[in-house]
Formats: sequence, C-alpha cells, structure tokens
Amino acid sequence: MSAGAKKRIMREYGECMADMPPGMKINFDEKNMTEWEIHMDGPEDSMYAGGHFLLKIMFPSEYPFKPPVVSFKTKIYHPNVSNDDKGSMCLGLLRPDEWKPPNKVVSVLRLIQTLLTEPNADDAIEPSIANEYKENRKEFEKNAKDWVKRYAK
Amino acid sequence: MSGSAYIPTDEELANLQQLSREYEPEVTGPLVGERQSSTAITTEYANADPVYRVKTAALPSKYSHFRTCRGDGNCGWRAIAFTYFETLIRLGDINKFQDEKTRLQSMNNLISSIGYSEDIYEGFQEECWDLLVALANAIGNGNAAQVLLENFNDMGVSMNIITYFKLLTSAWMQTHSADYMNFLLGQTVKSYCTQTIDPVNSEIDNIGIAALSEALLKPIGFALDVLYLDRSPGEEINVIHFGATENDALSLPYPRPTLRLLYRPGHYDILYKAEDIEVQQPIPSQAPLHVALAAGYTDDFVPMDSSMSDVMTMIPGLYPTGLGQRWPSAPYDYDPIPTPQPQPQVAPVPTYAPPPTAVAPVPTSHQEYATPVPSSHVNHQHHSTHHGIQLQPPVSLSLNHPPPPLTIERGGPFRPSMYELEPGFHSGQQHTLPFQTSIFRNSHYNTAHFLNPDFQPEEWSPDAEYSTSSRSRHKSSSQ
Repeated sequence: MSAGAKKRIMREYGECMADMPPGMKINFDEKNMTEWEIHMDGPEDSMYAGGHFLLKIMFPSEYPFKPPVVSFKTKIYHPNVSNDDKGSMCLGLLRPDEWKPPNKVVSVLRLIQTLLTEPNADDAIEPSIANEYKENRKEFEKNAKDWVKRYAK
Repeated sequence: MSGSAYIPTDEELANLQQLSREYEPEVTGPLVGERQSSTAITTEYANADPVYRVKTAALPSKYSHFRTCRGDGNCGWRAIAFTYFETLIRLGDINKFQDEKTRLQSMNNLISSIGYSEDIYEGFQEECWDLLVALANAIGNGNAAQVLLENFNDMGVSMNIITYFKLLTSAWMQTHSADYMNFLLGQTVKSYCTQTIDPVNSEIDNIGIAALSEALLKPIGFALDVLYLDRSPGEEINVIHFGATENDALSLPYPRPTLRLLYRPGHYDILYKAEDIEVQQPIPSQAPLHVALAAGYTDDFVPMDSSMSDVMTMIPGLYPTGLGQRWPSAPYDYDPIPTPQPQPQVAPVPTYAPPPTAVAPVPTSHQEYATPVPSSHVNHQHHSTHHGIQLQPPVSLSLNHPPPPLTIERGGPFRPSMYELEPGFHSGQQHTLPFQTSIFRNSHYNTAHFLNPDFQPEEWSPDAEYSTSSRSRHKSSSQ
C-alpha cells in the first residue's frame, strides 16, 4: 500500500472520530490500519434494536481506487447482508463500479446504519429474505428479532 | 430439455448477476506502452472489413506513430493525461511546469464548490504536482520522456492523476452547467457527473472529453484531436477537434500543440504525427547579449530573461545568441568536395518539408543551398550525409524518371515554420511535379508541348524536317 493511501486512511480515521455516527465505535490498530473493527448498536428505530454487531472494514491495496469491503462478523437477518460466513454487504457506493475515490468512510458508516433501519429489498443479496421483507413483513420482523436474540446479544 | 423451458430460480439469477457484476476482464499489457510505428495498426486491420482496411491504410502517412493504453476502463482518461504531460515536455520550457501547477491550483475552488473538501482531493493532486516537478527536473537531464512513461506505468501514480483530472472535469461541468446540459438527454449535469464521470473505471465519453479539454487543455493553448475509427463511409478516419482553436487568444503558442487520440469503439490509444516526435532540446538560458551600439547611444541594454527566449525564437529574423545551440551536432563546415562522409551520430532532428516559397538563406552562416538541378542524376551521396530537408526539385526535364526527393544539408539554423508541409506530404505525390513557372510553361523546352516525350527541340531543325532537299542530311544527323 502506497504512502498516499496510508495517509488517506489516517485522515479518514480522524474524520470518523470527529463525526462518529451514534452507536458506533471503531477499533483502530495503527500497525494494521487497513482493517478496521466496528462495534455497532442496532439502531433504536429498527428491528435490530438491542443487538450489538461486530463489523469489519477492509481497505484493499488499491484503496482509494477500489471500495473498502464491509462485512458483518455477527450474523444478521437482512436482505442486503449475505447469509454466509462472509456476511458481506455490497451495494450503493460500496459497489466497485459505483465507487468514487473521494468517497469518505464516514459516509460508508452512515450507509450501514441507514440500511439497518431501511433495508433495500430491490438491491438485495439474499433474494428470499428480500421477498419476505416485501410480502410478509411480520414474518421478516419476527425472524430478524429472533436472530438478534440468538447471535447479537 | 427442448420441451420444457428452463426457468432459473431467484437465487440463481442473483448469483449470475453477482458474477457478472464482479466480472473483470483480464487486461494485460503496460498501462501506457512504448511508442511504435502506426503501420502496426494497418497490419492489424489487414484482414478486416474493407472500410477499416481503407481507413487504416491511409493512417500511417499522416500519423506516423502510436502508443497503446491498457483497456482497463480508464484508457481515455489516461491517454489524455499522458499526452498532456508529454506535450508539456515537447514544449521544453521548464517554467511552464510551475505555471501549470499554479494554474491548476487556482481551480481548486471549483472542486471545493461541488462539495469535496481539500483534504480529500489534495492526495490526488499531490501526485500531479510531484510529477510536474519530476518532469521539469528531468528535462534538464534529457530523460523526461522516460520519467513520464515510468510514472504512468505505476498504477498508483496514474490513478491519482486520473482521479484528479476526473474531479476537475466534474467540477468544471457542474460550474459551467449551461454549456453541457443540452447534451445530456434530459439528465442533470449533477447526475451525469455522479454516474459517468466520478466513479472509478468509468470511461470518458465525448462530453467528458469536451469538458476536460476546456478545463485542462484550452487555457494552456493545447488542442486535442480525436480520430474515430468506425465503419462510417469515407476513406479517412473522422477527426473531431477539442481544446484550443485557431481563433483563441494569440498569446497562446502557435501552431497549437496538439494531443491526438485514436478511438476504436470502447478504446482509446495515443497517436502521433511525425512532427510531434521531435526531440526538444532544453532552451539554453541566455547570456547577456552585448551589442556594439552606435557611439552616443546610451540606453542600457536589458538582457532577455530566459523565459523570453522561446518567444524571441518565434519572431521571424530574430534569433537568440549562441546561434546553433539548438543544433548542437549539426556540422556547419562547408565541404566543397562532395565526398561521402560518415553519418554523424546526431540526435534525431525532425525532417522539415520545404516551405512553398523559396528557402530564405540566413545570412549569418555559410551553408549549402538547394540548387535546382534539372536531372535526377545529381550526386546524392554528399547531400544525404546530414539530417536534411526533403526537397522536390522545382523543375525536371525527365518525365520518365521522376527524381527521388533531393536531400540537402540542413547546415543553417532554419527556424521551424508554420508554413511547413506536413511530413508525409510527399508520400502521396510521387509523380514529377508539372512545370510550374509561367516562364517555363511557355518554353519550348517544356516537353508537354510535344506528342513525343523523347522529342528534343534543340536537335530539331524545321528546315531539315520539311525541306525535301535536305532530307538525307536530317536522317544522317539523327542516326
């Protein structure tokens, strides 16, 4: 990773600390600055309220010309998070063909929070959960809350 | 299988979509390649559609060289960025690099005005400033072209600069939206920039090229020609001009230094005319000029500052001190006996085609003149020993043996002229030039008057032809 990219990550970290979305905390290791650990509380106005989620943000070696990679280490029942051991989230500005080098990490954090409150069923990575979200909201909410209890306490 | 239609499940469709989204074609080759002869393009299309064949066959005569760019989705941006720096090198003026940094920095308020904070974009910019400094230093060492090529083949450097130029383009469009909104088919300028300019790996299109030319190239007086190689009817590749035009401010360099791109659907490469490839010597800084002025003339002489020297060279008849410094290895000595000389190892100096008017001798140095010799049997050995001017002899008596272009010694400091013929001009006209002077047209030496081109009027006597009495004499004389 180039010196410029490292400088950029340091700067992004500073900006996140100054303007942290509520309910989030970053574990930043200066020796391994390309991998951030995020502790996030489920937003109060969502099905995920009361849950505590661990996420990782990985900065690829081509950063900022490739998007950071966001993954949920805590299992979550959500149409935009893959239901596997990766728990990857890849939509909107995080998509490689939509990523813009000047995008900020703090806007990535905000995107994650917004998606927990309002899943985007039209751009889902888990079509069956998206379907349930659209057609059987009650069942979806029940499952989501159930998973919070099982995995995110 | 044939009876029942196969309907993929949602999961499978999602999987396929995911795969196609993540698909990245295998791209190879250097980000920016070495310059090579454009006959390679002709060869590439030798077996292609006749339209392509005709168009690419005509290409090398006008555009002698080209350079490939890797087709990674940024080739157009990279090609323009690369040729921008390359054209700065070609100008050879070290001060220009600092001027460009100052000018580009002054546009930062445009980028800030579309909502990017300076601490984000300065990272991209710094790479651009570093390269400008590195190139300015390298010009003195004579390896600027090498430094540029190495930097652009570094993915980090080239992506930083491309990203910066994209931000500049985006900012320019959004702050000049009236100029572009009518070309966007109903899209707003903002959404166009968000979707088409800003994302990484989004290739430049015509609107982007126009905006980048306005922001980056036009103010410094650079023009950009894009050649579109497509299947449209015609024998030559269509060219679209961007950037500075003939009508822009006269303070800009003339003729406009021109960047050239070759567009083939989905891909851009860099093109060169032969005249673009000259090796620019650094302009030597001036020693104060001492002039023996008339007695009593007391004005203090103000030496030119070095940044003026390039302007001075453009004034006809004026030439800075150190005549010949820009032709460091050009031999001046007149060689009265035309003997073959070993080819001096000179830096490649461009071939200048003759201006349409007679070459005006520069009185300050002795030199050889092109003597029009009415025959192809001149001694070429001597003339071809130096880098030379390609000259067609103005007159020729032989219709059957068109003389090859004469090469005459470029012994004197002829200035480059805007009236030069384009290199390759002669390649299309290998036939002998017709007798052009009005005097010669009426001359009886002009064989065009006679049905038999071998007819020699000075050997012909009408008396002998028509007088029956002397017929035998004529016959004997002609045998």
